[in-house]
Amino acid sequence: MSFLQIKHLLGLRDVCKEDLRTILDNARQFREILDRPVKKVPSLRGVTVVNLFFENSTRTRISFELAEKRLSADSVNFTSSSSSLTKGESLLDTLKNIEAMKIDLVVVRHKGTGVPAFLARHSNAIIVNAGDGANEHPTQALLDMFTMEQRLGSLEGRVVTIVGDVRHSRVARSNIWGLTTLGAKVRLCGPATLMPRNREFFDAVGVEVISDVHKALDGADAVIALRLQKERQEDSLLPTLREYRNFFGVTKEALEHAKPEVLIMHPGPINRGVEIDSNVADGPNSVILDQVTNGVAVRMAVMYLLSGGHADE
Amino acid sequence: MSKALCFKSVRIFAAGKLSSVQDFYTVDGRWSKDPVAGAEVVDVAGSWILPGLFALGVDFQEPIRDDIYTVKDGIEAMRRGGFSSAVYESPANPLDDIRKLKAMQDDCGKGGLEFHFLGALSVGNDGKALAEMLELSSGGVVGFGDGNHLPSSLRFLRFALEYAGMTGLRCFFQPSERSLMGKGCVHEGHYADTIGMKGIPSQAETIAVHQILELALWLQVPVHLKQLSCAESLNLVRNARARGVDVTCDVSIYHLLLDDACLLNLDTHTHLIPPLRTATDREALWQGLADGTVQAISCQHTPVLPQDKEVNFEEAMPGAVSLEIAFAALLPEAEKRFTNGISDLLRLLVDGPASILGLPARHLEPEVDCPFIVFKSDAEHVVTTQTFAGDVHNSPLLGSTLNGRVLGTCFDGMWRWNL
Repeated sequence: MSFLQIKHLLGLRDVCKEDLRTILDNARQFREILDRPVKKVPSLRGVTVVNLFFENSTRTRISFELAEKRLSADSVNFTSSSSSLTKGESLLDTLKNIEAMKIDLVVVRHKGTGVPAFLARHSNAIIVNAGDGANEHPTQALLDMFTMEQRLGSLEGRVVTIVGDVRHSRVARSNIWGLTTLGAKVRLCGPATLMPRNREFFDAVGVEVISDVHKALDGADAVIALRLQKERQEDSLLPTLREYRNFFGVTKEALEHAKPEVLIMHPGPINRGVEIDSNVADGPNSVILDQVTNGVAVRMAVMYLLSGGHADE
Repeated sequence: MSKALCFKSVRIFAAGKLSSVQDFYTVDGRWSKDPVAGAEVVDVAGSWILPGLFALGVDFQEPIRDDIYTVKDGIEAMRRGGFSSAVYESPANPLDDIRKLKAMQDDCGKGGLEFHFLGALSVGNDGKALAEMLELSSGGVVGFGDGNHLPSSLRFLRFALEYAGMTGLRCFFQPSERSLMGKGCVHEGHYADTIGMKGIPSQAETIAVHQILELALWLQVPVHLKQLSCAESLNLVRNARARGVDVTCDVSIYHLLLDDACLLNLDTHTHLIPPLRTATDREALWQGLADGTVQAISCQHTPVLPQDKEVNFEEAMPGAVSLEIAFAALLPEAEKRFTNGISDLLRLLVDGPASILGLPARHLEPEVDCPFIVFKSDAEHVVTTQTFAGDVHNSPLLGSTLNGRVLGTCFDGMWRWNL
């Protein structure tokens, strides 16, 4: 039984502030556990988790697996390339078969928007979205917010600038919903071809779209540089990576407009010299590796709370 | 040392009209309201002093076809025709990166005239990969366009408009749906069918206009439609403007002066793209100029070597030069059709082009730096090969008689007689 108002973590758009606080507060305690010599707790002993990754993933999959192991859950991995899906089985049939094996929690990543929600409708297991299409990547946004709170304290009134390919970014969308729920001001910056065009729902939560990176970074407390998929150039959305870097790259020069202590964040993997310069990614304001560490704690908190527990039990 | 000139007994076009006959004094090219003692007299009595004209649609085909034309030829053509400013676009050599732009800025900057440049929307004008428009914008382009090419993919066009939209600059298109044009070379109408020539229907233009305007409305990007030739295109522009599209357009000199009736002569100089349309279309274009639907008259100055025109009509290279004769050729028609012929024509050849690009128009005022020309409205002459600069003379008006000519120009403070 979930200790949150939500039963599944499908995205952050419909997650209330109380649930976000509960997750982030619990994550803080799991984060402390990760610094102990013995990093394992028995909190999910007897719980079976399957990681359904229909899309390639390295860090998110490893992060979830580690979180499951730290919680003492029994976990199994599934990748689409080695599955019966390649033999023509439908997604629903795959799910029913896996569920017949008495799975408690499913972590799913899929290129299709809405697949986690689809699974949630047809399954008794708890579903955790590890990324669906360009829709949501809620645990990434949660770990981003957790990392920001570590350094900045409350996010109320803080300015967070997300730079890059927002149109195709599930990370950006989850951050928009989560950050605005916690009272942060979100700015989006990037080429018009990589920005969502119809922004009524974003406007409703006060998101600003600023095409000039200098203006977008003016007074920012944190900046999230999104990974630029190189296919965007082939798809005629960008002229060159050089122009992208010159006009939208998170560079030292661009950051002169932000607060001196601005946090530099990136969901990874990084294209150095494209969306972010190396001297920024590796610089003193960078919290990119903290994000990776915090990801395990946040995912532990999510799975633990959805399964019905508290970290301090 | 300052140079003072006195143009005796001339009429000056200022504040929207021609003055009464008076002496026009200048010091280093600036109008001096007060007489200047010792000023050198320039004998152009009876002429008009007009602001320098602004040419839309100029391509000197530099640097890849020096055998046809050079920047030097182009500048000479502008001077002969009284054009002090131009928007340069180069279908032959697309300005699709900052180095090409800088090279053209350097080349054109040497002539004492004012040049503005359109950057390419796509690399090589091929409609497949976006050009570095942000960098081109920071390099000083005043708009974007792919010359006479319209991207064949609407999806690409959408992205190009979205990307260009970040700069706030206007995107220029010559609307033509290639797949409907086929191998046509003249307007598809009575004359084409009479002589059995492959035609280009008006719909090749109107369909493209519609597509561009729909995207411009959706994406809220300012667009300019070049060389509109059909009556229906202007209706589409009017409707789009009423729906909130920021759209400007021009019509070219020869589409105002000629129509497809001249096809019967099979003169390859009338082979133009878009083709000369019907007399009804031609009247509609004049009406569009009068009612403000069309902002400017463009020159579409396209040099073509004699060898590429001295072939049968269908194989002739399309295009015509016009800079040298545009004003003199248009003035009688403008005086016939407009209430204030000279004033309206200058609006369309000075103010209109500048406003399309968001640039201030330059007008003659005392003590203000403004290039000017001396135009003699009753200087009858025949258009010959010598009228044109360079080795080209591909004009449908070759051999015709014009009533006026530009006697000289004062650009960048320097007075020069036309030869």
